[in-house]
Amino acid sequence: MAKRAILGLFEDASYAAEAGDALQRAGVAPTDYDFLTDTPYPEGAFGERHEGHKLYIFPLCGALVGLTIGILLTSMTQMAYPMVQAGKPILSLPPMAVVTYESTMLTAIIFTIIGIVFESRLPSFKQGLYDTRITEGYIGVLANVEETQLTEVSTLFTQAGAVDVVRENQAPA
Amino acid sequence: MAASESEHLHHGTAHGEGHGGSSGGHYPGMWIFPNPRVITRDMAGKVASMPRGFTLALLASGILLVLGVVGFVARAAADGFDDRAPWGYYMAAFSFVFMVTSAAPVAAVAFRFTKSHWRRPLSRVSELFAVVGILNIIMFIPMMLILPPIANPNAGHGNGHDLDIRRTIWFEGPVGAPHAWDLVGVIALAVTALFILWLSAVPDMAEARLTARGFRGWLYRRLSGHWYGAKKQWQAQKAGLALMGAFYFMTLIFVQFIISSDYAQSMIPGWKDSIFPVFYSLTGFQVALGTCLIILYIMRRWGGFQEYYGKSPFWSASKIQLGLTLLWAYHLFAFFITYWYGRLAVEQNIIKYLFTQSYGGLFVANLALSFAIPFLLLLWNPVRRSAWGPPLAGLSAAAGALMFSLRVMVGGANSGNIYAAFLDHVPAAAYPDLWDIFIVTGAIGAAAFTYLLATRILPLISVWEVKEGALYQRLATFTPTGKGEYLVLAKPE
Repeated sequence: MAKRAILGLFEDASYAAEAGDALQRAGVAPTDYDFLTDTPYPEGAFGERHEGHKLYIFPLCGALVGLTIGILLTSMTQMAYPMVQAGKPILSLPPMAVVTYESTMLTAIIFTIIGIVFESRLPSFKQGLYDTRITEGYIGVLANVEETQLTEVSTLFTQAGAVDVVRENQAPA
Repeated sequence: MAASESEHLHHGTAHGEGHGGSSGGHYPGMWIFPNPRVITRDMAGKVASMPRGFTLALLASGILLVLGVVGFVARAAADGFDDRAPWGYYMAAFSFVFMVTSAAPVAAVAFRFTKSHWRRPLSRVSELFAVVGILNIIMFIPMMLILPPIANPNAGHGNGHDLDIRRTIWFEGPVGAPHAWDLVGVIALAVTALFILWLSAVPDMAEARLTARGFRGWLYRRLSGHWYGAKKQWQAQKAGLALMGAFYFMTLIFVQFIISSDYAQSMIPGWKDSIFPVFYSLTGFQVALGTCLIILYIMRRWGGFQEYYGKSPFWSASKIQLGLTLLWAYHLFAFFITYWYGRLAVEQNIIKYLFTQSYGGLFVANLALSFAIPFLLLLWNPVRRSAWGPPLAGLSAAAGALMFSLRVMVGGANSGNIYAAFLDHVPAAAYPDLWDIFIVTGAIGAAAFTYLLATRILPLISVWEVKEGALYQRLATFTPTGKGEYLVLAKPE
């Protein structure tokens, strides 16, 4: 059965943390609920799971690709069209460094952009469950649960101190 | 509905226990913590409004932009692009705009690295300069046409004293050098800055996407897509801003190096100086920080942002301004003394050309505006603590940077035979005509126009950052009687 989203809105961070604990006790998997905030909160503020990311791999791969392209481009150009400048060797590192640096930076940047877009799942043209009160400092606890659990989760949110509970297909406030 | 001032003040103590002129211990108005509950609505109102002062500024900068286009077309019609000499003032205009606007995003990037709380109101002001990067790309296209080829087109035609290949950093002429690599650098810089701006503004756009109307609403919905403020997204944003910030700084230094090298140093035969690119970058950082503070001051004084900008960004930035000003003087002296002591004919000619004779007046103005005036202003604690002192020093540094760009770029364009082995005489100064004045003022107007338009799309406050700041800062008193007010800062990591 497809999972449905339900959003609890909390005015206070401690109530949101309580809701997270209640979801955990009710057997909702940590990957099935998330805290939506209008600003980054400190790590573990809601007792949430640790989230890792692999963003650093992207610039590293990009830099390696760019470095290789830069070295190949400069060395092959100079081998194909040798120009002796002031008695320097055909393959001299200082002049090669200029182009190699630029190509390395360029591909590292492009790969990082791809990595950020991939890691944060942006952009997307589909609107998910959200409530504009989160922009006013409310904390949203978004749970994706089976349809049969919706009522139970809604009760959990209310008991934890939610000021409102929003479900899918319900007009946002 | 935009939040009223009384609403701000009423709610001001809810999160920050202090607000504006009502708090700050010995220094009233030093620290301001806006109310996170109303900031999103208030910023949406400010972005959508068109105050009279803003409209006038947009009109004035638009007129300057048109004059600049007129000057450019007239110059192109009269002189074409074959000779670089008539384009000296265009090169200076590009250099100045590029120097300011490309270095400005570093203010947001650098102070995020250092996790300085005071930088929060400054972040978006500096990041918005990314939009002017598009103007930099457009302005750079004629710069490519002006730049002479590396290989001497007259080589082997009896000019025995000329070089076959002029002296540049592109020693072995890699494919596309210098034009293509310069252009790629300028584009990479602009794209990186725009991506940083987007990444930083995504949470703010996501907050406003459901309430904004018209073009802004359409744009916000497309650009903020799937952002809901989930933890993984905040983590990716934080890491992304750090990585892209580092790459931006590394790319900026490189592009400033190739621009200063290709359009100033290599234009004057025999000008070999390892300090100049550093000096160019340093001037850029000095003027960029100053320009951000000028904008901050204008918005605080006349733009209705007094509820968001305390004096602390000015005070904290002023110390960095003072450091940059002293470094500027140190690098100038290091450059000058090497040439003065070297006493080769080419070195003496370059000193006479750029410092003491041909462009001596501009050099004195440059020295006074970039060093003497900012230094004498920023030396004093009360001036550094004021909201007007650091922006005034910034204004002086900006005028100084313009003098610097005029001196080295116009000097470079009018140095004579670019394929000569060294500068064997002291060329005369090239004075501006009407079209040159139009071009220089037009370029500055175009940058201002672009920036002003950008403020109609994104707020001048990084809303999520200011809200985050409210979580970690508050004013407390040392005694129960309410005396001895001090600032409590938290470090989340």
